[in-house]
Amino acid sequence: MSRKITNKPTIGIVLISVPSYSETFFQNKIKGLSQNGFNVILFVDYLKNFETRPPCKIIRASNYDGSKLNRLLNASKAILSAIFINPIKSFKLFKLDRKDGLPFKLCLKNVIRNQPFFKAHIDWLHFGFGTLTFNRENVAEVINAKMAVSFRGFDLYLSPLKHHDCYATLFDKNIRYHVLCNEMKTTLKTYHVNEEKIRIIPPAIDVDFFNSSAVKRNESEIINFTTVSRLHWKKGLVYTLEALAILKNKGLNFKFTIIGTGEEQERLVFAAYQLGILDDVIFAGKYSKEQVKDQLEQTNVYIQYSTQEGFCNAVLEAQSMGLLCVVSNAEGLSENVLHDQTGWVVQKRNPLALADRILKVLELSEDKKSNVRDRARMRAKNEFNLSIQETSFIEFYKS
Amino acid sequence: MNRKLKIAVYSGEIPSTTFIERLIKGIAKTGSAVYLFGAKKKSIAYTDNISVVAYKHNKFSKLFTLIKYSVLLFLFRNNDKKKLDQIIASTSNNLVYSKVKFYPVLWVKPDVFHLQWAKALREWSWVRQFGIKLVLSLRGAHINYSPIANHDLAEMYNTYFPKVDGFHAVSNAIAKEALKYGAELSKIQTVYSGLDINNFSEIKKTKQPVFNIVSVGRSHWVKGYSYAIDACKILKDSGLEFKYTVVGVSKNIELVHHVHDLKLTHNISLVDKQPFEQIKQLIANADVFLLPSLKEGVANVVLEAMALRTIVISTDCGGMSELIDNERNGYLIPIRNAVQMAEKLMVISNLDSQNKNKITDQAYRTINEKFTSDQMIAGMIDLYNSVLKDT
Repeated sequence: MSRKITNKPTIGIVLISVPSYSETFFQNKIKGLSQNGFNVILFVDYLKNFETRPPCKIIRASNYDGSKLNRLLNASKAILSAIFINPIKSFKLFKLDRKDGLPFKLCLKNVIRNQPFFKAHIDWLHFGFGTLTFNRENVAEVINAKMAVSFRGFDLYLSPLKHHDCYATLFDKNIRYHVLCNEMKTTLKTYHVNEEKIRIIPPAIDVDFFNSSAVKRNESEIINFTTVSRLHWKKGLVYTLEALAILKNKGLNFKFTIIGTGEEQERLVFAAYQLGILDDVIFAGKYSKEQVKDQLEQTNVYIQYSTQEGFCNAVLEAQSMGLLCVVSNAEGLSENVLHDQTGWVVQKRNPLALADRILKVLELSEDKKSNVRDRARMRAKNEFNLSIQETSFIEFYKS
Repeated sequence: MNRKLKIAVYSGEIPSTTFIERLIKGIAKTGSAVYLFGAKKKSIAYTDNISVVAYKHNKFSKLFTLIKYSVLLFLFRNNDKKKLDQIIASTSNNLVYSKVKFYPVLWVKPDVFHLQWAKALREWSWVRQFGIKLVLSLRGAHINYSPIANHDLAEMYNTYFPKVDGFHAVSNAIAKEALKYGAELSKIQTVYSGLDINNFSEIKKTKQPVFNIVSVGRSHWVKGYSYAIDACKILKDSGLEFKYTVVGVSKNIELVHHVHDLKLTHNISLVDKQPFEQIKQLIANADVFLLPSLKEGVANVVLEAMALRTIVISTDCGGMSELIDNERNGYLIPIRNAVQMAEKLMVISNLDSQNKNKITDQAYRTINEKFTSDQMIAGMIDLYNSVLKDT
C-alpha cells in the first residue's frame, strides 16, 4: 500500500458487466469521476453487448465462460502470463492467499483468474459489490493499489445467508467501505469492521429530470398507485398486492402499475388473480426513463414495500417528483423516506398496516399533502443530487 | 378388448416423479404393456412388461436413437415415417431433436399415449393422426396458474384441449379449471392419486420435546411457505414453544432471509431433500403436517401424512377439500392467511390425545377407503378403456 496517490488517481472499478442504462448509480459514478479528470478503468466479468459505452477503458476481468476450447485457450494464455509476464505479482498473490488459509488448488486458480488485473496501473481498486471480492481479496495489495468495496444491499444482507462467513477474509483486510445508508454501516460494524473505514454515500438521481413541473395530478375517482422495481421477491410485491386487495374490499377504486420485469411475474399475476385484483393491476414491463417520469406524473401514491432494500433510487425519483411515498422499513428505506416528513414508513411484511397507512395518506388534507410533497422534493434536490455524490466520491478517494 | 394394451406413459424424463412411477408400476401389474419414452436420467430395474425406449442426454445416444428408428421406420413403415416427417417439418423448430423424441413412439405405436404435462400438448398432438389415443393428465401448475399468467399458453390449451381423447384430472377442482380451456366434461375422469397404505402402517412415532410442525415439498412459491413463516412469527409472539421443519427448501434464499429477518432461526429449520424413509419418519414424528400451498390438485404428501396418522392442516387450495373434511379427518384454512394458520396451529397444540386420535384415525380411514393404489390403477385403466372403446 505504498503507492503515492496523485491528485487525479486512476480508479479501477470492478463490476459483473458494463452497467446498463438503468443502473444509474454506476453510470453516474463513472461519468462523474471522468468529468472530474479521474482516469477510470472498468473491470467486468462479462463483456456482452452493452447499451451505452461508459467514458472509460473496459477490461475483461474473467474469461472462463463459453466453450471448453475457449476456456482452455484463455487459461493457457493466463498461465503463460503468470509465468513469463507477471511472475512476481503471481507469486505474491499465491503467497497472500495461502497466508489467508486458502487451499493450494484455489490459490493456483486465483493466480490464473486474476491475471487481467496485473497489467493495469491503478491507485484504487474499487469493487462494486461485496460478492465481487470473492477470491480477489489480495489482488489490490499485489498490484500496489488501495482497495475499496461498495456494499449495495443484497450483497450485505442476502449473500452471507447463502454463503456463511463469506466475508471473513475481506473484513480482515485494511480497506475502505462504501455503504448507502446508516443501517448498512451499523450492520458492517456488527462484523467488527472499523467504523472509520466506512463511508456513507447515498445514491443520487437526476433531480433536474425528475422534477415536478409537469405533474398532472389525477383528480378522478380512480387512485393511481405505482411501484418501479424488478419483479423480485425482495421487493415485497405480494405483500403490496395483499394490502391493495384489503383496500379494494373497503371499496377503494384504484389502478396499481408495476414498472419492471423479472422472474416473479407468474407468481405476481397469480397473486393478483387469487386476491381478486387482477383487473386493477397493470404489469407494465420495462419502461424508458421518460416513460417512468410520465407514469410518475400521473401517480397519486408511490409504494415501495420491499422486504430487503439497500436504499432505492426509484423512491428518490418519486420524491423528487413530489409524490406521496409509502415505503417499508427495510434497511435503507427508512433513511430514504423520513417518516411523516417526506413520506411514510410502514413496518415491513404487514399488509394490514400498509393498507391502513395508504388510507390515512389519501384522507390527509391537501395542505398536509402539499407540505410532505414540498419537503420530499426539497430534500431530494438538496441531499441526493448528482454533484453531491460526485464530490463525496472524490473525497472518498482522497482519503 | 381382450388383447394386451400398449400404454405409453410420457413425462419427458425417466424415472419420473414418485407418483407417476407408482402409476407406471401399477398399470404394468394389470398385465398391460407399459412403454416409457423420453430422456433417461438413470437406469431403473423395471418389471418385464415395462419397456424403456429412451435416449440419454448426450449427442451420441441421441444420434444412435435417431439412426436406429430412422432405419426401422424406413424399412418397415416408410409411409408413416414420411407422414410424420411432414408434420415435424411444419410444426417443429428443431427437426432433429423432434425426430429423436417422436420416432420411437411412432415405431412402438402404443394404443394410448398418456401425456403427464399439459404444456407439452401441442408437441404431442400428432399421435392422434396415427390412431394413437391421446390422454392428458391435468396436474398442478400447468393448469392451475401458468395459463393465467401466460396468455399464449391459455390460447394453446384452447386450441388443443378439444382434440384430446381423454383427460385424467387429479381432482375435481382441477377438472373444473380445465373446462375453462375447452376440455369436454364427458372426456374428463377424476382419478385420485393413491398409495399402498401397508407401506405406511409400521412407522413408530417418537414424541418430540416441543410442538412439532413439518412441511415437505419442492422449493417453489406456490407452496406458500412465506405464509407459514409469517404464521410462525405469530406463534412465537404468542409464547408457544415449537419447531417447524420444511424439507426441500434449504437453498431457497427468500425463505432463508424470511426466517432470519423475523428472528426465527431457533424455531424453523429449512432442510434439504431427504430420502423417502426419513421423510416418512419425520412426518410420523410431527404433531402437525402443514400444507400452506396457494394451489394444489391433491397434494400427494398429504395422503402420506394421513396414512402416517399425523394431523394435517391444509389450505383450502384447489382439490384439498376433496380429501380433507374440515375438523373430521384434518383441518382446512383459507389460502394466504397467516393469522388463521397460526390460530389453527395453536388449537391443535392444545388438543388432547383422544381428539387427536379421533382425527388421525378418520384420516387413515379416508386414505384406506378412497386413495389407494388399487383404486388409482383401476380408475386409470377405466379411463384408457373408455378412450379405446370406439376402436
